[in-house]
Amino acid sequence: MRLDIKYRIHFRYSEAVTESQNEVRVRPRDDDRQRLLSFLLTPRPAVAVLHAVDYWGTAVSHIGVRTAHDELELVAEASVVTAARADPADAAPMEALASDAFRSEHFEMLAPSQHVQPSAAVVQRAEAAVSGATSVTGAVAAVVDEARRVLDYSPGSTDIGVSLDELVAGGVGVCQDFAHLTIGMLRSVQIPARYVSGYLFAADETESSDSLVEGGGPVSVQTHAWVEAAVPGSGWWALDPTNGGPVGERHVVIGCGRDYRDVSPVRGAFMGAATAEVDAEVVIGERIGQQRPATVAAAAPVAAPADAGWHYQQGQQQQ
Amino acid sequence: MADPSPETGLLDGYRPVDAFDEAFDADGSARHGYRHIVERFSGLDAAELKRLQRLVNEEFRRQGITFTVYSEEEGTERIWPMDLFPRLIAAAEWDELARGLSQRIEALNLFLADVYVGGGEALSDGVVPRWLVVSSGGFERNAMGIRMPHGTHCCIAGIDVVRGADGRYRVLEDNLRNPSGISYVVENRAAMAKVCNWLFYDHPVEPANHYGQMLRSTLESMAPAAADAPQVVVLTPGIFNSAYFEHAFLARSMGVELVEGRDLVVDGHRVYARTIEGLVEVNVIYRRIDDDFLDPVSFRADSTLGVPGLLGALRAGTVTVCNALGNGVADDKAVYPYVPDLIRYYLGVEPIIDNVATYRMWDLDHRRQALSRLDELVVKPVGASGGYGVLIGPHATADELEEAKAKIEAEPREWIVQELVALSTLPSFAEERLEPRHLDLRPFVLTGAQTQVFPGGLTRVAMRRGSLIVNSSQGGGSKDTWVLKPELAAVGHAEGELR
Repeated sequence: MRLDIKYRIHFRYSEAVTESQNEVRVRPRDDDRQRLLSFLLTPRPAVAVLHAVDYWGTAVSHIGVRTAHDELELVAEASVVTAARADPADAAPMEALASDAFRSEHFEMLAPSQHVQPSAAVVQRAEAAVSGATSVTGAVAAVVDEARRVLDYSPGSTDIGVSLDELVAGGVGVCQDFAHLTIGMLRSVQIPARYVSGYLFAADETESSDSLVEGGGPVSVQTHAWVEAAVPGSGWWALDPTNGGPVGERHVVIGCGRDYRDVSPVRGAFMGAATAEVDAEVVIGERIGQQRPATVAAAAPVAAPADAGWHYQQGQQQQ
Repeated sequence: MADPSPETGLLDGYRPVDAFDEAFDADGSARHGYRHIVERFSGLDAAELKRLQRLVNEEFRRQGITFTVYSEEEGTERIWPMDLFPRLIAAAEWDELARGLSQRIEALNLFLADVYVGGGEALSDGVVPRWLVVSSGGFERNAMGIRMPHGTHCCIAGIDVVRGADGRYRVLEDNLRNPSGISYVVENRAAMAKVCNWLFYDHPVEPANHYGQMLRSTLESMAPAAADAPQVVVLTPGIFNSAYFEHAFLARSMGVELVEGRDLVVDGHRVYARTIEGLVEVNVIYRRIDDDFLDPVSFRADSTLGVPGLLGALRAGTVTVCNALGNGVADDKAVYPYVPDLIRYYLGVEPIIDNVATYRMWDLDHRRQALSRLDELVVKPVGASGGYGVLIGPHATADELEEAKAKIEAEPREWIVQELVALSTLPSFAEERLEPRHLDLRPFVLTGAQTQVFPGGLTRVAMRRGSLIVNSSQGGGSKDTWVLKPELAAVGHAEGELR
């Protein structure tokens, strides 16, 4: 499926800031399943962009502005062709997870990470969920079901940095939370799991489609997050715990990592006595068909008003 | 040995303890290289030695040569302690030690280049387990793909070596991130030369005042290829850091700027220093800030010490940061046991200097062996330095040993266990006389296009009787370290007395 993506991140500062430095991960991956036809990242104010590839193989762009500015806009435009994915063919037995070679290969995706620190309660929950599973794929599906039982999707319901226990207690979350909880439970039962950041062309039946433009045309959503689980003998199996459905041609991968921290779309810092508001919109449209952008603008102050020093800024949570 | 009078002889009744004594052999006679020094010290009395010691202390106090002891909340400044009885290393002995250290650093640099830019061949070939590398606190994912000039990731290393009862040197640990102590090496020599210049009359000693030049030319050779007249700066966390004295010393002795993060800016993926002449591009940053604090955008967001945007400049290849990001993976004490194998793997030769025998607690067989005789061994946490968290089996209580066992069983990756080395001793001034005290040695190895070892290094000495803990943070002192020039070695060999 050919998809054109336009993603716009906009920081607006309460006062002019003198400098900002940012790391941006918005470029779709280019691989066998997903071909990247074109990509353009345009910052305003206009500055040179340095493109590099990080440890996880994700394209990262460094953007620094050293002139006074009261807004910073980053527009990413990409065209990709995606292909369907096959489900893991083989029903690997649970015992296969215990192989030393398998565990060593996936060590980083089994260990706790900054946003995925499973408590004893989370481990118990995961163990109970998979107690009836006879295969790894069955266990993965059971964990995804459990995450969906625990959490209801609710945009803007949580903040970055919420713990897994807080998610379970609160019972609501955004796609990032669905992903973190699923990953935490998968790792708790020794299934390697990783966080995927990307874009979703949401068809009109999903829960995240409340911003759907009527008429079956393009839709506007936030960047999306889902998970991949390592299945012995089959490789990585992608699942979308927020939507419950499969990951298919409408999921566009940016990159993957241990959790949100490794693939956050924007992280940066600005210098000045200002507060920042950020809004972001994604427009994904099929090549054929009229693009009708719509905006989901969730303004969130990301730094306390304070001194004239450096302040941290990041894009919104992945919804 | 000279013939000191019974009342005043500082070395009267000097009995080497159960260890290799550097100055005296087993039957109590001075080793060849130490003959003159022993004579000189035998001619002193306690009052005179105390007077000289006071002069040295006064010298250090006047120049503000201090170190910081952290206790509870606050850090306390103390005058740097130096014992006057020097350590001597004969030319041939030094030559072999220096070759061994160079070999080790060469292999460690190849390892770091392999891990971060070479695809990890040593990991694929099973020399070091991949999981051990990626679980290291020092493994820095942001360093991936950043190429260092000459493949040199470790430009400045401090390798801690010890001599056991057999007199052989062994490596105790590698310090490949921000090894400190070189300023004390240089200042110790300056103070000795000032207060005890008569001690040097009998010995041709390699100078120890040229570290600044050596370091500067090493760092200049690390500039990105495009830089003609490389600008080098020393980046410090600031005056509240315990090693600030050393940072200032390094900048001064190289004749380069000492800067803090706020003095540097990144523009167009290049680094500039704010100066009174405006912005000046910087090509090499000798940073004395930990990886995590270098750039708040890409590392810890709460760091105010670093330079926002620095990682982008590193990825653009416009500036070199020394030591490289991520060196902590190679001086992780859990990787240390594999270093002899890394030397064999990358260089195809046997190590010149061995490790201290080490048990890997994540290996079941090693763990069983070590836990069965923990009371004879030394337990070390892999992530700590400065002697913190080290348990010396023979000095530990039964409760302490049980506690250590439980910790090891709970988190095997976090511990190594080593054979106890009876560190070599040297006469050191204690109260009214010279008594044997245990010591180690931290030589400094500089690598740019090639590797050089700075003559001598920092000899640290445990000032309490019987203590094996030499860290200054735990009551250790220091000694001036003399590498003797080859002339004397030639004589020594002729007499067949030098090792």
